Amino acid sequence: MVVKKKNFIRKTGFFLLILLIVTFAVFPFLQMLSLSLKYQFDWGNPSLIPRKINLEAYKELLNIGTKLRTVPDSIKRLLENKALTRAQKRSITKKYQETGDIFPFLRYFWNSFFLSFTASFISLIVATLGAYSFSRVNYRGRGIIQRGVLFVYMFGGILLLIPLYQVAIKSGLARTGSGSFISLLVIYMVQTLPVSLYMLGNYFRSIPFSIEEAALIDGCTRFEIIYRVIIPLSLPALSTVFIYAFMIAWNEYLFASVFLRSYKNLYTLPIGLKALFVSKNAIWDRIMAASILTATPVVILFMIVQKNLVSGLTSGGVKE
Amino acid sequence: MAVKAPALRGNRMIAKAHALRIEEERFGWKLILPSVIIIGSLIIYPIIYNMYLSLFDVKLQGANIYIGLQNYKNVLSDPSFWHAVLTTFIYVISTTIGTTLIGLGVALVMVKNFPFRGLVRALILLPYIAPVISVVFSWQFFFDPVNGLFMHVTYDMLHLFDKRFNLIGSPQNAVIVAIIFNIWRSFPFSYLMILSRLQSIDSSGYEAAEIDGASSWQKFRYITFPELYFVIGSIVILRVIWNFNKFEDVYLLTDNVKVLSVYTYFKAFTGVMDQGQGAALALIQFLLLIGFILFYVKKVLKW
Repeated sequence: MVVKKKNFIRKTGFFLLILLIVTFAVFPFLQMLSLSLKYQFDWGNPSLIPRKINLEAYKELLNIGTKLRTVPDSIKRLLENKALTRAQKRSITKKYQETGDIFPFLRYFWNSFFLSFTASFISLIVATLGAYSFSRVNYRGRGIIQRGVLFVYMFGGILLLIPLYQVAIKSGLARTGSGSFISLLVIYMVQTLPVSLYMLGNYFRSIPFSIEEAALIDGCTRFEIIYRVIIPLSLPALSTVFIYAFMIAWNEYLFASVFLRSYKNLYTLPIGLKALFVSKNAIWDRIMAASILTATPVVILFMIVQKNLVSGLTSGGVKE
Repeated sequence: MAVKAPALRGNRMIAKAHALRIEEERFGWKLILPSVIIIGSLIIYPIIYNMYLSLFDVKLQGANIYIGLQNYKNVLSDPSFWHAVLTTFIYVISTTIGTTLIGLGVALVMVKNFPFRGLVRALILLPYIAPVISVVFSWQFFFDPVNGLFMHVTYDMLHLFDKRFNLIGSPQNAVIVAIIFNIWRSFPFSYLMILSRLQSIDSSGYEAAEIDGASSWQKFRYITFPELYFVIGSIVILRVIWNFNKFEDVYLLTDNVKVLSVYTYFKAFTGVMDQGQGAALALIQFLLLIGFILFYVKKVLKW
């Protein structure tokens, strides 16, 4: 009887502990979701459940049904005038839509996506070749390169930021929007390269050599082996590394804030969100909805590769 | 003739093997070359260029002026720099200890069997996975003086303070919040590393200890902990490196906490944009990190 009681207390304590850990980890996300759905009168309410659901913030960010919202009524009446051609009407509405009052969430989303996708894709190709080289081919200098890749982990972004910015200024790249955007793309590729090299190198070493030998006997060249044998065998690892690199670029703030500072149209999500918060548009429901929408792609990607990613993380292939 | 032939064949084979080796070497270099060029020109070169810049008065337009070690003198004689160093050390030490201990605690819980374990394990990785920018606002709201839950609990319910205030608003308190925020964000990393080590410990040691009547503390102290020693050592060194260089986790939450990265960012990219001094600062920060690591490796890990 006493043992049973003691066991019961222990078990309850254990479940409370788990509940505490989960709450600690998840509470900020729940608060985000709850606040993004609340009306202003509800913000001070400590309960996470909104009294009334407010979807306006999401609609506004995703541009649903807000096409004519910012156009004043007098102009709307003017637009109904049949004498105007369609092109004229469009130019009038366009004028009102680009006042900068709406947060161009979709554009920032697209900028972020384009940058992260391209950078991690190029980085993946370069890293596949490089990682194959130092995990499978024998040559002098291989050890130095391998250790050098690890050493790069030590460099913080700030150490590279000033010289790279100076290079971009002195070469004239920072003078145009496209130049700055391309500089940023290249920087993201470089930032994700060491991690990709390291993670892929670890993975390639786990593929049995005998498979490659068999392919060699069948008359494959070394290069053919890479794309006929190694790549198909490592698809899960490749996608994990790709997503990991994608996440690094998607989250990056420091370089983007410096390089894209004067090109509002090219803002990525992190700097766009930060700007939204300091601007007069700072309204909690919009900020939280934007936060949720920024986190969602990353969380979904993570769910897809969770298992591989976790084992990749624990085998040492990480960078922050 | 008959004697010579095998030797000749042997020579030819050696020559062929040699040619193969050269070919292999060429192949290896061909594959690694793009990575080497990219890392060399965009990581190694900029670091050297950074050293060079730190000796100049860097102009945003026009030519730089060589000023020797003046930038370093300016940095080292500025009390706000030393304050930033102190803040960085406080930040790095507390976050490293915090993440490691909480990670250890959580891992010891998660290694046990319980219902919905898979779901729980996935959920507690969220802070580590989500972009920093998407979680800072929720934390800021939590401490918001008007609507935030923190003030609601401490002021309205517990009456701990005599008025509402913004905890992130003042530099002294903001450091604490920045530390808690970083622990929250990075404990899943140390938890994962420790968990994967825990799962690979052979259970026979525990069974033997149980027969000998060991308490749970003794089991932890004499079986679990020695197995974890190395993994905890590497977590600590990784966290020190990363947290020393942290920028986003601090700056996006609050610009009141001037750790070295944030301090350098403000020096080099706001106001007069003194990039020469910024370059000197970045280099000093790097040297401090190296010094700290050498000390750690020697004194703590005793390598």
